[in-house]
Amino acid sequence: MPELPELNPVIHGKLRLALLSLLSGVEEAEFTWLRSKTGSTDGNLGAQLLKLEDAGYVVVEKKFVSRKPQTIYRMTEAGRHALTEYVQALKQLLGGAIGG
Amino acid sequence: MPDQVTEQELKDRLSLIETMIAEGRRTTGSWGWTFVLWGVAYYVAIAWTIWGHYPLAWPITMVAASVLTAVLATRRRRSQPRTTMGRAIGSIWVAMGITMFILFFSLGLSGRLVDQQAFVALVAAMLGTSNATSSLILKWKAQFACAIVWWAAAVISCFGTFMQSSIAGVAAIFLCQIAFGIYATIYESSKRGQVVHHA
Repeated sequence: MPELPELNPVIHGKLRLALLSLLSGVEEAEFTWLRSKTGSTDGNLGAQLLKLEDAGYVVVEKKFVSRKPQTIYRMTEAGRHALTEYVQALKQLLGGAIGG
Repeated sequence: MPDQVTEQELKDRLSLIETMIAEGRRTTGSWGWTFVLWGVAYYVAIAWTIWGHYPLAWPITMVAASVLTAVLATRRRRSQPRTTMGRAIGSIWVAMGITMFILFFSLGLSGRLVDQQAFVALVAAMLGTSNATSSLILKWKAQFACAIVWWAAAVISCFGTFMQSSIAGVAAIFLCQIAFGIYATIYESSKRGQVVHHA
């Protein structure tokens, strides 16, 4: 019997998965945009982004634009690779259920 | 792997990934207002030239519109993510704006901008090109329709009378700048209202 792949627990969290997927479609995004797209609270969003940052999947840049603070997030190569592996593992687990 | 993950859960995760990636990619910012702003700027320049008889009406209005666009765009862009598609579309319009400015400023200074119909035809053809390129990238039929209107105005200006050329130019500004700009603004705000609550 073939060995089933493991799902990366850092990515498997629903909000973290949504954040990584969002960031994979853009070059960089601000905290407020990620909040509006996920409908999450500031606290929860910040905590989940910190976990992704600790795992090396996103990098954060804090800057001031016209005296207003901006927190910009970017997906790293490691994050992209991890998301790709996660999707492959998902498809493998689902097997024929998603029609290839 | 988390324990006891159901097949439905896995499918939900896959669907979430697809939805979010699409959501990020389709974000190109809100630019409908720029069409309206430039449409108004064209009308101001035309009116100023006709009734004011001021030779610098076009360069002054165009520079003012460029500055206003840059200031407003910087303010609005802050909360929008940077996307490759957004950068591609922006590049088209910036390059077209610079080309137009250099070309018409040089033609005006050299005294070769004497044929108003040729001026309308050139402007309309260039705007047709930018709208067509942008619409093909965005797969937006409404904007491609604008490109066709601009190209039609360019052809009318080449073969029609002075009056027909003027009417075609003014009508194209109304349809492709004012009307399309308002439509784009409404379309963009309706898209922004669709906040995804998967997470």
